[in-house]
Amino acid sequence: MKTIIVGLGNPILGDDGVGWKIAEEIRKQLPADDIDVACLSLGGLGLMEHLIGYDRAILVDAFATNDQPGSILILKLDELPNYSAFHTTSAHDTSLQKAIELGRSMGAKLPEEVEIVGITTIKVHEFTEELSPPVADVVGFATRVVLDLLKQPIGVKRESHAEV
Amino acid sequence: MTQRISIDPVTRLEGHGKIEIFLDDNGNVANSYFQIPELRGFERFVVGRPIEEMPLLTNRICGVCPEAHHMAAAKAADAVYHIDPPLPAKMLRELLYMAFYCTDHTTHFYALGGPDFVMGPDAPVAERNILGVIHKVGLEVGGKVIQMRKYGHNVVEMIGGRKVHPCTSIPGGLTKGITEEQRKEIEEMGHWAVEFAQFSLQVFNDIVLANKEYVDLILGDVYTHHTYYMGMVDEHNKINFYDGKVRVVDPDGKEFVKYEPKDYAQHIAEHVEPWTYLKFPYLKNVGWKGFVDGNDSGVYMATPLSRLNACDGMATPLAQAEYEKFYAILGGKPVHQRLATHWARLIELLYAAERWVELVTDPEITSPDIHVKPTETPTEGIGIVEAPRGTLTHHYWTDELGRVTRANLIVGTTNNYAPIQMSTHKAAASLIKNGNVTDGLLNMVEMAFRAYDPCFGCATHSLPGQMPLEITVRDAEGNPLEVLKQFC
Repeated sequence: MKTIIVGLGNPILGDDGVGWKIAEEIRKQLPADDIDVACLSLGGLGLMEHLIGYDRAILVDAFATNDQPGSILILKLDELPNYSAFHTTSAHDTSLQKAIELGRSMGAKLPEEVEIVGITTIKVHEFTEELSPPVADVVGFATRVVLDLLKQPIGVKRESHAEV
Repeated sequence: MTQRISIDPVTRLEGHGKIEIFLDDNGNVANSYFQIPELRGFERFVVGRPIEEMPLLTNRICGVCPEAHHMAAAKAADAVYHIDPPLPAKMLRELLYMAFYCTDHTTHFYALGGPDFVMGPDAPVAERNILGVIHKVGLEVGGKVIQMRKYGHNVVEMIGGRKVHPCTSIPGGLTKGITEEQRKEIEEMGHWAVEFAQFSLQVFNDIVLANKEYVDLILGDVYTHHTYYMGMVDEHNKINFYDGKVRVVDPDGKEFVKYEPKDYAQHIAEHVEPWTYLKFPYLKNVGWKGFVDGNDSGVYMATPLSRLNACDGMATPLAQAEYEKFYAILGGKPVHQRLATHWARLIELLYAAERWVELVTDPEITSPDIHVKPTETPTEGIGIVEAPRGTLTHHYWTDELGRVTRANLIVGTTNNYAPIQMSTHKAAASLIKNGNVTDGLLNMVEMAFRAYDPCFGCATHSLPGQMPLEITVRDAEGNPLEVLKQFC
């Protein structure tokens, strides 16, 4: 099975870069070399295009929720609200869900299930390479969460909210 | 009693686009404010870093057009070292840039701007997206869109070293060139891109221009403003996205000024409003008169439509023919109807594809002469390109070791902040009458700013949402009277 782990975000925009930091950590610790790790600043169509050819994808991204900063959320893509019908959600793109639907309708091989590990953030509008302390503190734990996820088969119902 | 309508993000994420509309006692629009957040601290962030890093770092300002920032920063870095890169280097950069333009304009038309026309502005929101377009126009459209994007990414990777965030432009030129084998491949993709652009214009012709209702919508007063128009032109006053002088025409279409990138500060000033972080650029030598149309108002626009208005034509034959048709149908130059921007964007798509073929078939394009070593002491430099969303200016000052001491950036959308504000205000004022706020309001207001393809807060990709919006109608005390959500 071909798996990709994608760290999403902007590495110079504070906590938005947390996905990259975790992906880099995962790359160092990965036991198997048949798993690809990528760091991307993309969404929608561009992100979908990177997932073509994979059976499984795990996205690691900064979350903007009301949870405590540093909280880790584990979700499946279809558990996220799909804003695509309302394309103002991005002024330049469609949602990942819609993009995947589009890719599939074009015959592209895309992961059956996309899992998301989200880290609740604080500062995402100020240019810096540093993470806020509570966000930086969970990079190691989130890395283990992703590595554990890899050991589980896809399609398993699991607890969707873990807080540290 | 005054009502307030707020189009507002529903997550706690600060700093996403927000529209506040205030109604008067009769329920008509008294005022509106389109607030765009500012990503803070970039100028501070870059201080102390070497100028060579700017083409890489500024890639990350925006998730949508990293290639544009890469180019503007690279050109500014050339200027900081007082170098004019060799012609093959400039041609390769421009070739990469044309491929990027094809990708970007394609995405906008098929995923964002097009659905309003292909599906109709009143179509249910669930259908007004790229999949709706495919269902209506045919499955092969989706395949072509994906193919166009793929080819664009391939060219960016071949010349720029990476698929999305290129890394090969350095002060004085490029770190690598292309082989003859790559050249052939790029040429083949370029021919396909020209055909795709023609196909897209045909889709526009068949679906939009053949439909009187849509033509009336485009030509209607709701989306019309008379302002100055900006765009970059070559020595023959033809459009160029990568290099040239910045030309501005007045609302009558007459040249107001044409300036070298290095002189931008003599022509552009920024107006500050208390209700938003972002500044409003305007023409210094006309002056700021508020959010008003006309020759006395320094408001200018920088978009595909403004570029067509500001030039004397397209530098490639097929695009030139489309340009002529555009002005023949819309009643001559300049065109003030903002919704025509979607059509102008497709004409630019065709130009970019044709220019792609022109550049890649030039014998010089595989020349190894792609870099000049910097020898002079670095000082200060300005680089301007036309980003898909408007004229993009990068300005850096460095110390004698090339470390950035100060930076100033005017990004594409910023140019259009005042026109966007005016357009959303006018759309809201036309649609909301006597307190009647309809479900169609959100989309019609969206259409006003979607034509500009604005880019706000786009550097963040934080889930769960990028820019969810909400319209709230409020009374004078701030109590919500009615809420229209995009999702529930």
